[in-house]
Amino acid sequence: MSSTADMQSKAVQVSPEVKAIHRRMLRRQRRGRALTYLVGILISLWVLIPILFIASMALTTPTEVRSYPKGILPFIPLSTATMEFFLGSRGILPGLRNSIVVAVITLILSTLIAAPAGYAISRFIFRGRDVFRLSILAVRAFPIVILSIPLAVVFLRTGIYDSVYSLALMHTALALPTTILVLSSVFSSIPYELEEAAMVFGCTPTQAFRHVVLPLVMPGIAAAAMFTFVLSWNEVFAATILTIQNRTLPAQVLVTLNQSSEPYQFAGGFFMMIPALIFIFFIRRYLFNMWGQISK
Amino acid sequence: MTTASTPKGRKKINWAPYLLILPSLVYLALFFAWPMVQGLILAVREEGALLTLHSEADRNSTLAGQLPRGMQVGLLGRQGNPIPPEEVGQSNLLTEVWFQIRGQDTEGQTIEGWTPERRIRVRESNESGVPVSGSVRSILSSSADPLTSVYAEADEDSEMVGQMEARTPVEILDQATLEVWFLINGEYENEIIEGWVPSRYINALGDGTRGRIEGGDTSQFTTRYIQRMVNDRFFWPALRTTLLLIVLIIPAQFVLAIIMALVIQADLKGSGIFLYIFAIALGLSDLAVGIVWYSIFTQSGYLNSILQGLGLIDAPFIYLSADTRYWILIAIWLAEVWRATALVMVIVVAGMQAISREVMEAAEVFGATLWQRIRYIILPLLRPSLQVALILRTILAFQVFAVVIVMSGGDILTVLANETYRQYYDQRNVNVAAAYASLILLLSMITSLFYLRAVRSQEEVAE
Repeated sequence: MSSTADMQSKAVQVSPEVKAIHRRMLRRQRRGRALTYLVGILISLWVLIPILFIASMALTTPTEVRSYPKGILPFIPLSTATMEFFLGSRGILPGLRNSIVVAVITLILSTLIAAPAGYAISRFIFRGRDVFRLSILAVRAFPIVILSIPLAVVFLRTGIYDSVYSLALMHTALALPTTILVLSSVFSSIPYELEEAAMVFGCTPTQAFRHVVLPLVMPGIAAAAMFTFVLSWNEVFAATILTIQNRTLPAQVLVTLNQSSEPYQFAGGFFMMIPALIFIFFIRRYLFNMWGQISK
Repeated sequence: MTTASTPKGRKKINWAPYLLILPSLVYLALFFAWPMVQGLILAVREEGALLTLHSEADRNSTLAGQLPRGMQVGLLGRQGNPIPPEEVGQSNLLTEVWFQIRGQDTEGQTIEGWTPERRIRVRESNESGVPVSGSVRSILSSSADPLTSVYAEADEDSEMVGQMEARTPVEILDQATLEVWFLINGEYENEIIEGWVPSRYINALGDGTRGRIEGGDTSQFTTRYIQRMVNDRFFWPALRTTLLLIVLIIPAQFVLAIIMALVIQADLKGSGIFLYIFAIALGLSDLAVGIVWYSIFTQSGYLNSILQGLGLIDAPFIYLSADTRYWILIAIWLAEVWRATALVMVIVVAGMQAISREVMEAAEVFGATLWQRIRYIILPLLRPSLQVALILRTILAFQVFAVVIVMSGGDILTVLANETYRQYYDQRNVNVAAAYASLILLLSMITSLFYLRAVRSQEEVAE
C-alpha cells in the first residue's frame, strides 16, 4: 500500500529532468529491441538464403540449373524435372530405401536399449550412477571416425559387411549416448509422485509405468526417435565405409559426386535436407532438453 | 521393481537399475569400446608378421623359432600332413592326396596301404566322383625305383607295407588330403633357424629349393603403418588443413552462437520463429550443406551471378580450383560455420536459461552495458556450457569430411578424415586408415584435456 502511495506521490512530484531520463531510457530500450530484431532477422537471412538457393535449384528445370548468370528470383520456372532426374538416377531409389531401413532400425534399436537406461538414471539412485552418466558423456566425446575402420574389418570377417543391418548396428552405437541422456531428461520431467500415486491405487510398478508414465513421455520419446532418425539419415562417413552395394542415400550421392552433373548434386543436396527441415520443426521444443542435458 | 525395503528391513542392493542399464552397457562395450580398441590395435599391429617354425612337421611339436614375413628361405624337405577338411579350401595351400589301396604286391600277396595319388591312375569312379579303382602308374624315369611303395599310413616316413609293380590293378578304399609342410631355414637376427612350416605360408620359387615367406601366423607390434601415414604425400597437407580449419571455424562459431543466443533470450515476440530458423542447421548433414555452399561458389553459381548482376565482375570467377585454395578454404569455413553453429547455440541457450533472471536484472538496473553484461556475467557463468560445446565442436571439426570432398573433390584440399577414407577405400589399406583414425582420436583427446585444464586453471586463478 505504502509503495503505491509512494509511487503516486512520486508521479506527482516528477521533475521534468526525471521524465526526460525516463523517456531516454524507454527510447534506449526500444532502440535495443529494434536492434535485436534487426540482428535476429539478419541471422535468419544468413540461415535461410542458402536454403532458398538450393531449394530453387532443386525445384526448377535442369536447363535453368546449368544457366548463367542465375536469376536471383527463386523457383522460376517452377518444375519438378530436376528432382525427377535425380530420383530417377541409378542407385538413388535403392539408396533411399536403404537409408530409411537403416534409420528405422537404428531408431527402434536405440530407443529400446536407451529407454531402460534413461529411466534408471532418472528414477534410481544407485552406486555407479554418476560413473555411468559420465562414461555416456565421454562416449559422445569420442570421434566416430575411428569406429568405422575396425567395424568394417570385423563385419568383413563375420560376413555381415555391406548390409543395411550391420550399418544400423553401427548407427545405433552412435545414437545411443544422446538417446540415453535425452530420454533420462524426458523421464525426469515426469514427477515420480504420479507413479507413486498409481501404485497407491493398486498398480504394480510395471502397470504404473505403462498406464501413467508412458503416455506422458511418448512425445519426448518420439522427439528423441526423430532425432535419431535424422542422425542416421545424415551419417555419411561410416555409411560409405561399411557398404558397397547397399549404399544409403548420402553414401550413394557422395561416391557419385565427382562424376555427376550439377542438377543431380543440387537436387540431391536439397532432398537430403527435407527430413531435417520437418523434424526440427517438431522437436524444437525438446532441443534444450536434448542438448542442455549434456552440459550438466 | 522398487525393492528398496524388504519385509525383514535388511538393507538389500536394488538390482533393478543395473538390469535397466545393462543392455546399453553391453551394446556400447560391443559396438563402441571394443572396436575402438581394435582400431588402435590395427594401427600398430602387423597381422602375420612372423612365422613360427616347428621342430617337426606337426603343429604340436616344439617351436624352433620365428622368421619374418617376406624373407627368402631355403626349402630343405617336404612332408604331407593331414589337415582338417574345413581348411582345404584356403588359398596358397599346397596339398597332396593319398589313396588307401588294396592290390597284389610284388610277392603276389594282397596288401592294403597308402600311396600318393600321383602313383595311381584312376580307372573308375562312383556316382559322386569318388575314385573306386585304378592301376599303379609306371615310372618313366630310368634311374628311379620302378616299383611303387605302399605305406602303412599316409606318410612317406611310416612303415612300408610292400611294393607294387606298374599297371597292377588296385581298389581305392579311401583317400586323404594332406597339406605339404616344408622344412625351411633362414637367417634372422644373426641366427640360422631351421624348422617345419605348413606350405600355406610359403611361396616356393623356381626349382623348389628356395621359397619366400608369404605371411606368418603371429602378429607383431610395428610402427610401419604410422611411418607410412606420416610419409604419405597427403599427410602434412591434411593435418595442416584440419588444424587450420579448427582455428578458423571454432571462434567464429562461438561468437555467432552467443549472438544468436542473446537474440533468443531477449524475450522478443516471435522468438520461437527465430529459434526454429537458427536451429534448422542442427539437422543438416555436412554433405548436404557442402552441396548448398557449392551451389553458391561454383563457377556458374550464385556468388558469381550476384556479382555479375551488380556489375562487379565481367566474367565468372573460378573459386574452387587448385590455384585458389584459399577460396576453397573460405567456402568450407562458411559452410561449417553455417551448419554447426546451431549446435553451439543450443548449448549456450540451455546454459543461459540456467542463469538466474535476478542476476541479469540487477546488472541492468546498475546500468551495465550489453558488453559489460556479456563480459562479466554471461561468459563466466556460461563457462561449463562453453567448455562442453568447445569439446564437442572441436571433436566434430576434426572429422570434417563430406564438405571437403564436395568443395575440392578431396584432392586439392584434404583433411584427416578424408585421408582415412582414401586409405581405406582407394588404397585398400586398412591399417594405415586405422592409423589416421587413431591420430584423430589422439588429437581429439589432447584438445579435450587441454580445454578441461585451461578452464580449471582459470577458475583456480580466480580463486
